[in-house]
Amino acid sequence: MKIELDSEDDLDNYIICHKCHTIHRKIPIKNGSKALCSRCKMALYRKNDRLVEQGLALSIAGFVLFILANIFPLIKINILGTDSFITTISMIVSLLDSGYYIVSLFILYLIIIFPVMIFIIYISTFTLLKLKRGRVLTKELLILLGNIEPWHMSDIFLVSILVSIVKLFDMAKIYIGISFWALFAFVLINIYISRNIHIGELWILRKNIYYGNKREIDR
Amino acid sequence: MATRGRSIDSMYSIDSNNLIKCPICEATNVDKKRDNICRRCGSKIYHHRNNPTEKSWAFLITAIIFYIPANIYPMMIVDQFGEKFDSTIIGGVIELWDHGDYPISAIIFVASIFVPITKFLMIIYLLVSAKYPIGHDKRVNKFTIYYFTELIGPWSMVDVFVVGILAGLVHLSSVKIIAGTASTAFALSVFFTLLSAHTFDTKLIKENH
Repeated sequence: MKIELDSEDDLDNYIICHKCHTIHRKIPIKNGSKALCSRCKMALYRKNDRLVEQGLALSIAGFVLFILANIFPLIKINILGTDSFITTISMIVSLLDSGYYIVSLFILYLIIIFPVMIFIIYISTFTLLKLKRGRVLTKELLILLGNIEPWHMSDIFLVSILVSIVKLFDMAKIYIGISFWALFAFVLINIYISRNIHIGELWILRKNIYYGNKREIDR
Repeated sequence: MATRGRSIDSMYSIDSNNLIKCPICEATNVDKKRDNICRRCGSKIYHHRNNPTEKSWAFLITAIIFYIPANIYPMMIVDQFGEKFDSTIIGGVIELWDHGDYPISAIIFVASIFVPITKFLMIIYLLVSAKYPIGHDKRVNKFTIYYFTELIGPWSMVDVFVVGILAGLVHLSSVKIIAGTASTAFALSVFFTLLSAHTFDTKLIKENH
C-alpha cells in the first residue's frame, strides 16, 4: 500500500493498531464514539470534545483517592488478641528494616512514586491544555508520561492485597481499612483513564490546541 | 497544510510497510532505516547499530538466571511459636491447593510460574524469529504475541507484593512472617523480563515478514 503525503505531519492521519500493527487511515467519527481496528477490534482512537475537562476531573479525583490510600491502614488483623495493621509506607519500612533493600525500593517505586508522578503529570497536563499554555512543558510532561506509564502497578498491588487476605483467613481476624476502599476506587479510576485516554490522543489534542486547527477548539 | 516548520514542500509517497510507531508517544513515523528519531516527541526509536537483539537477549538471560534462585530459596518463612516453616514458590502453591484454596492457589501459580515462563518463551520466540526464518506462515501475528507479552508481564509481581504485605503485617510475638531470599531474586527476575520486553525492537518483526 502506497501512502501519499504532503508533509511528515500528515502522518498524524494514520494510526497503527497497538495490538496487531495494522495501519489505518483516520476517519472523522461522531462525538462520544470510538474507532476499532478492522482486524482485531481493538479501540484505536476516540472522539471526545470534553476530554480535557473529564480528564482533569478524573485525575484530581484519582490523586485525592491515592493520598487517602496511602495515609490510612490498608488492613488490620487480630491474632490471639494482638492487633497489627499495615499501610503502604509501613510495609516498605518493615521490608527495609529486615534488609530487603531491592524489594522495598521496587515496591516504593511501583506503587507510590510512579503512580504519584503519573497523576501529577495528568493534572498538570490537563490544566495546561485547558489554559492553552505551556507548549514546551506539556511536551516534556507527555514524554515523561510515556516513559513511566508501563511501570505503574497499583492494580496488581490491589490483587495482591486480596490474595494476602485470603492467605490470612484462617490465621487471624481481618478488618479491611479505609485505604483499601480508597485504593480500590483509585484503581477503578486508573483503569478508566488508561482505557479511555490514550497517550496518542493527548498528543493530538496538544497539537490541535497549540498549533491551530481552530475549528476544533472553538467548538 | 503544514502546521510546523519541518514540512517538505513536494508531495512524496511512501510504502505503508515503512511506517513505524514511536514507543513513547505512539506517533506514526517513517522508518529511515537508521537512527530514527520520533518526529513528534523527539525520542529515539530503538537506536542500535549492528546488534538489534543483543540488549534484549542480555536482559532476558539475566532474568532467567535470577529465576533459578527465586525457585530454589524460600519465598516466605513462617515463624510460629519459634518453629520455622519455609515455603518456596511451588511449595506455597501446593500448600494452598492442599488446603482447598483453589482460586488463590491458581492465581499464585499463574502469576509466579505460568506468566514468567510463558514470557521467557514468548520473548525467546520473538528474538529467534527476528534472526532466523521461522513463523513465516503468518498464522500467528507476532505483534499480538508482543502485545500479550507486555500485557501479562507485570502480573508476576503479585507474589512479591503478597510477601511484602504479609511480612509487614504479621510480626507479632507468637507468629512472624519473614520475607525470604527468593523475593529479591524474583523481583529482579520480573524487572529484567520487563526490561527485555521493552528493549525489544518491534521493527524486527516486520523485517522478516
